[in-house]
Amino acid sequence: MSLLNLLPHLLNGIALGLLFSLIALGFMLILGLMEQINLAHGSLFALGAYFAYAICGAKLPLPPDVLVAWAGVPLGLRFATAVVVAPILVAPFGIVLERLMRRTYGRDPLYGLLLTFGVAMVLEELIRVVWGTRDYMMPVPRDMSGGFIMLDLIWSTYRFWAAGMAVVAMGAVWFIVERTRFGAMVKAGAHDSEIVQALGIDLTRLRVWVFVLGTMLAAFAGVIMAPLWGIRPHMGVDAVVPAFLIIVLGGVGSFWGAALGGLLVGMVVGLSGAYASEWSMLSMYLLLIAVVTFRARGLFGKKSVLEA
Amino acid sequence: MAAARTVPSFTPAMLVTWILFATVPFWIERVGLYQYLGVEILIFALYALAYNLVLGHAGLPSFGHGAFFGIGAYAFGLAQSNVVPNLWVCLAVAAGAAAIAGAFVALFISHRRGIYYALMTIAFGQIFWFIAIKAHRITGGEDGLLKIERLPASLGITTFNLGSNIALYYFVLAVFAVVSFLLWRLVHSPFGRVVKAIKQNETRARFVGYDVWRYKAAVLVVSTTLSGLAGGLFAMAQTSAFPDVMSLHYSGYVVMMTLVGGGLVSFWGPVIGAVAFFLARDVIGSFTTGWMLWFGLSFVVLVLFKPEGIAGIFSGVMNGRDKIVPRPAAAPQSQAR
Repeated sequence: MSLLNLLPHLLNGIALGLLFSLIALGFMLILGLMEQINLAHGSLFALGAYFAYAICGAKLPLPPDVLVAWAGVPLGLRFATAVVVAPILVAPFGIVLERLMRRTYGRDPLYGLLLTFGVAMVLEELIRVVWGTRDYMMPVPRDMSGGFIMLDLIWSTYRFWAAGMAVVAMGAVWFIVERTRFGAMVKAGAHDSEIVQALGIDLTRLRVWVFVLGTMLAAFAGVIMAPLWGIRPHMGVDAVVPAFLIIVLGGVGSFWGAALGGLLVGMVVGLSGAYASEWSMLSMYLLLIAVVTFRARGLFGKKSVLEA
Repeated sequence: MAAARTVPSFTPAMLVTWILFATVPFWIERVGLYQYLGVEILIFALYALAYNLVLGHAGLPSFGHGAFFGIGAYAFGLAQSNVVPNLWVCLAVAAGAAAIAGAFVALFISHRRGIYYALMTIAFGQIFWFIAIKAHRITGGEDGLLKIERLPASLGITTFNLGSNIALYYFVLAVFAVVSFLLWRLVHSPFGRVVKAIKQNETRARFVGYDVWRYKAAVLVVSTTLSGLAGGLFAMAQTSAFPDVMSLHYSGYVVMMTLVGGGLVSFWGPVIGAVAFFLARDVIGSFTTGWMLWFGLSFVVLVLFKPEGIAGIFSGVMNGRDKIVPRPAAAPQSQAR
C-alpha cells in the first residue's frame, strides 16, 4: 500500500481523534480538577445526541402547532440550535450528578466510580424507556453533508465540519482553564483546596461550574458525533471507554496529554483500519497497554491522588 | 467476627446458606418462579463470591471481570467439541483458561491500585470482549458458540445426567459449596490476612516485608480462575456462550451484585447480592421493561447512604445499632506469621 493510499485513512483518523480528544477533555476536566471519575460522562454524551435529535427532528413535547412551525425552519438553523441548546438541556443532569457526588468527596475514589457507574446505568435505561432501543439517524444540513473530491479521492464533508467544531470547543476549554480567573481558581482549588477556601473562594460553587462545563462538553461532543455514529442507547459506553483510555494514555491532569492522546488514538485506529478494518478498534487498547507499560503515568501525567 | 484469631471452618451462616439453597428446587415453582432461575442465581453467586476476593477482600476494583467469566464459558464449549466431551476436563479447561488470562493481565496491573487498577482492568476486559466478538471462526462472533452440551457428571461408580435443570442445580450447588468453603478458608488463612493488610495499607504491608506484587497477582489469578469455573458452568446452563457476558455492562453487573449484597463487609454479601439482582430482574422485570432503571437507582442510593449493602443493613439491625464501621480501623493488630 503506497503512502498516498494511506493518506485518507490518516486524515480520517485525525478527524476521529479530534472528536475523541473532545470527549476525553470533558472527562478530564472533572477528573483532573475535581479528582472524580465520572463514568456517567458517556451517558451525558448520549443524552446530548438524543436531545439534538429531538430538536433537529422536531420531536419535542410541545404543542403540535409549535412543532409544525419548528419543522418548517430550515434544517441548518435547526442543527445550529441543537448544537447550542442540547448541551444546555443536559447541563441540569450534570448539576444533579454533582449534588449526588458530594457525599463521596473525601472518601475512597472507588465510591465516586461506583456511584457514577450506577448513574450511567440509570441514564442509559432512561434513554431506553423514553426513546426505545432502536437506532436513529441524525439529519445533517445539506451544506455540511455529502462529500467532495480532493486528490482524486472522495472525502466526507461532515467529518471535517465535526473535527473543526471539536477544535473550536477544545480551544475554548483551553482558554477558560488557562487564561481566565475562573480557570485559575479551579486549578488552584484542585491543587490546594484549603488555601483556596481560606482566600474566600466558594469552592462548592466552583465545583458545580466545573461539572456543568464538563457535562456540556460531553453533550456537545454527543451532538456533533451523532451524525457520524448514529444514535443508539449504548453509544455512551462506546464513547466513555475511548475517553478513559485517552486520559490514561495522555496522563491524568494534562490538557495537551488529552489532546495528543486523542489524536494518537484516532490515527492508530485510522491507520490500522487501512489494513484490518475489523480489528481497528483493538489497536487503541494495545497502544494503551504499550504506552502505560513503559510510562506508568501516561505521556504527560503528573502524580495525582488517584495513585494513592 | 473479623477480629477473631481463629475462625471455624464451618460457620452457622455457611451451613444455613447451603441448606437454604438445597431446599430451593422444592419451593421455587410454588412462588411463581422457575427452576432455571435457581441455576442462574447460584452460578452468579459463585461468580460474585470469586469477584469479591478482588474487590472486597483485596480492595482492588476490577471492572473487567466479565472477560474471565466469558473466557471460561468459551473455553468450556471449545474444550467440549475439540478436546474431549468430559465434564471434569472441560471445567478444568474453563478454569485453566481463565487462570492463564488472569495471570497475563496480572503481569501488567499488579503494581497498580485504586482508579488506575480500575482503568487498566476496563482496558483488558474490553480487549477480551472485542476479540470474542471479532474472532468469528473460534467464538462464533455475536451469534455466540452454540450447541454446548450439558455433559453428564461421572463419579466413577455412577454417572449423573445433568440434562434437567434440577439435576444441574444440585451439581452447581455442590460446586458452590466446595468453592465457598475453600474461599472461606482462603480468606481466613495467613494468605488472606496478608491480602487484607494490603487492602488496609499497601505501603505498610510492603515495609513489613511482604511481596505485595505477588500477593496482588495471586489474588487476581485465584479470582479469575473461579470466575472462569463459574463461566464454564454458565455455558453448560445456557448450552451456549455469548460475548455479552464479557461486556463492560456485565462486568459492572457483578460489581453491582457484590456491592448491593454487602461484599465490602461480609463474606456472604455477594451471594445476597446475586439473589437480589436476579429477583429484581424477574420481579421488577415482570412489571416494567426498565427494571435496570430501578435496580440502578437503588444501587445509587446504596452507594450514597449504605455502601455496606444489604448485609450491612442486616447486621446493623441485628446489632441494634444504626451505624456500623464500614471497615476495621486502619491499625491492624501485629501478627506473627
